Amino acid sequence: MVYRVLPFVLIPLIGINTGVAANELNPDVSVTLDGYYKQNDTALSHREKGFGLGHTELSLSSPIDDLFSGRLTAVFEEHDGESEVLIEEAYLQTNGLPAGLGVRAGRFLSQVGYLNGRHMHEDDFVERPAVYRALLGSHYYDTGVRLNAVLPTPFFWQVGAEAFNGNQLSEGDEDIGVYTLNTRVGGDLSVSQSWQAGLSWLRNRQVSAEDDEGEHDHDHEGGHDHSHGASYTGENLYVADAVWKWSPNGNTREQQITLSGEYLYADELNEFATSDDVHEGWYVSGVYQFAPQWSAGVRYGEVDLREPHGDHFHSQSLEETDVMLSWSRSHFSTLRLQYTHQSATGFSKADNTVMVQYVMSLGAHGAHGY
Amino acid sequence: MGIDMRFGQWFLIAFLFGLASMPARADFEVFACEPEWTSLVREFMPDARFTTATSYLQDPHYIEARPSLIAAMRRADIAVCTGASLEAGWLPTLLQRAGNPKIQSGRPGLFFAADHARLHAPHEHVDRSMGDVHPEGNPHVHLSPDQLPRIAEALADRLGELRPDAATDIQARYIKWRVRWNNHRAEWQEKAKGLQGQAVVIQHTSFGYLLRWLGVEATIDLEPKPGLPPSASHLSELLSEPGLDAAGAILIASHQDRQPAEWLAKRTGKPVLVFPGTVTDEAPTETLAGLITTIVNGLEETMAGASYGSL
Repeated sequence: MVYRVLPFVLIPLIGINTGVAANELNPDVSVTLDGYYKQNDTALSHREKGFGLGHTELSLSSPIDDLFSGRLTAVFEEHDGESEVLIEEAYLQTNGLPAGLGVRAGRFLSQVGYLNGRHMHEDDFVERPAVYRALLGSHYYDTGVRLNAVLPTPFFWQVGAEAFNGNQLSEGDEDIGVYTLNTRVGGDLSVSQSWQAGLSWLRNRQVSAEDDEGEHDHDHEGGHDHSHGASYTGENLYVADAVWKWSPNGNTREQQITLSGEYLYADELNEFATSDDVHEGWYVSGVYQFAPQWSAGVRYGEVDLREPHGDHFHSQSLEETDVMLSWSRSHFSTLRLQYTHQSATGFSKADNTVMVQYVMSLGAHGAHGY
Repeated sequence: MGIDMRFGQWFLIAFLFGLASMPARADFEVFACEPEWTSLVREFMPDARFTTATSYLQDPHYIEARPSLIAAMRRADIAVCTGASLEAGWLPTLLQRAGNPKIQSGRPGLFFAADHARLHAPHEHVDRSMGDVHPEGNPHVHLSPDQLPRIAEALADRLGELRPDAATDIQARYIKWRVRWNNHRAEWQEKAKGLQGQAVVIQHTSFGYLLRWLGVEATIDLEPKPGLPPSASHLSELLSEPGLDAAGAILIASHQDRQPAEWLAKRTGKPVLVFPGTVTDEAPTETLAGLITTIVNGLEETMAGASYGSL
């Protein structure tokens, strides 16, 4: 009678459990290793050709008390042989304020758009779409404060506002250089299908204050001196995003299709800009996880940019198609093979390239968003 | 300051519209991470409103923190989940995004079943090379005939604490449930006699507690490591496993891919048994007792018969 003896056998194991509990007082530590090989340099890319390290992250997170939790994420990057450590996240987050309100303060990823609020290691492709690399520096994070409210509706509806220092996007003297408004709705269409759509507005008050450092620099692309900020800015940036996901019976473990797309539009580029001088771009992406460990995906995106040159602008445009195949041994390791095709006007480095990438996650693995 | 004004107005409009579209609230909103907890709470509070995050056709480890679940979490008066890291990949995001003060960790509105059970196989040392092992122990505790009453008792107490006006009714229903459960358990114990000492091939430890209780051995696993899908190389290794001959069946859950089990069945001639890993929407497996009865009967028909035949 195993079940009669079992409780006695378990008594010493309960003692062990208290050891586990004490260990839980330490923050969760997680490390993301991201390395790649890239055949050719490409336009608007943050990854140089050859072997390289991508977004290597060290992250600590923990509940602070019953009201606050916190996270610190440091990113190690190399540019032109120089190593840098960047603080990408250092924030506190409230848990359970009344009325569905949530406050985040410190440094964090802005929630504009669909991809921007996500960590780069969750992405399905080696790099973010061209329009993200141009207008948001792949991912826009800054120091400031966010207020979000989830409304008590039967479907998901969130509204939020952020105020940032703004210097990660454009240098300037304003106390609040950037603020954003965002709303997001979503729900289920059936057991198998779910969706989310969002609208965001980012106001950059420091655009006109920025020096035209690139005035006579016609090679205003990849390997840029300001590699983490956006290369192209405007006073207003609007983002519309939509995501649809499908898995048989909602069992995402076995199979899943994810379709997503975003449209970005920036205007008021500087004091010389006319109403025709705007940055604009979009992408659509389809990823099919056809077995628990395998995914294949296609993404197409375009971006049309107006590069400032003193009192006039030069047109640039880039069309990019990516095809990828990835294999995940477990939830914590991914190997990815990707082919990127670029065709461009006004970019000297545009090229086609093959990339091989690994993304490995060590230690605690935070829960993913939708 | 025009901008601040604009934001204020916009926010207010959004809020009012949100409130206007709010449906008439039921008395008590229950968010259950897995359907077994919906079924258990329903035994004690049949009139509550339920949102269940997963179904028996889904692997509860791999659920996405999708928008509809955030909305449901935002409304919930209680969230009932398994715990022991089963939902570690999605529950923390839901709790944070929904920002519902009633169900934050440490508050009475967040109930973890595993906190009220003695879990099997806790590990002092865990690393990822072992696969997706939960340091707290096997979290699939809902099919344990002995552990479930402890969980049910704690759950009934917690519900009564949150709804003092209904507490007596909840207690009465709990006692009735407990009596029925004990009767069922006696039946299962009777059937277990024919299963004692038998063995099955499993995929993941989903049925682990019940199999141990029945005295059915389950040492051969189609998964090479916990949480990794069965691989071709691992399956061919299993063919030469010495314990394989003794196994009377291959037991998998409805949400799992059938191909690996069928591959092994073809080569060994062993029957494949597919049972829901948790309660379903339809009788007789819509309650935990009904589900355990179905599994025990299924095992008995397949395996006890076979051993009698060989006598």
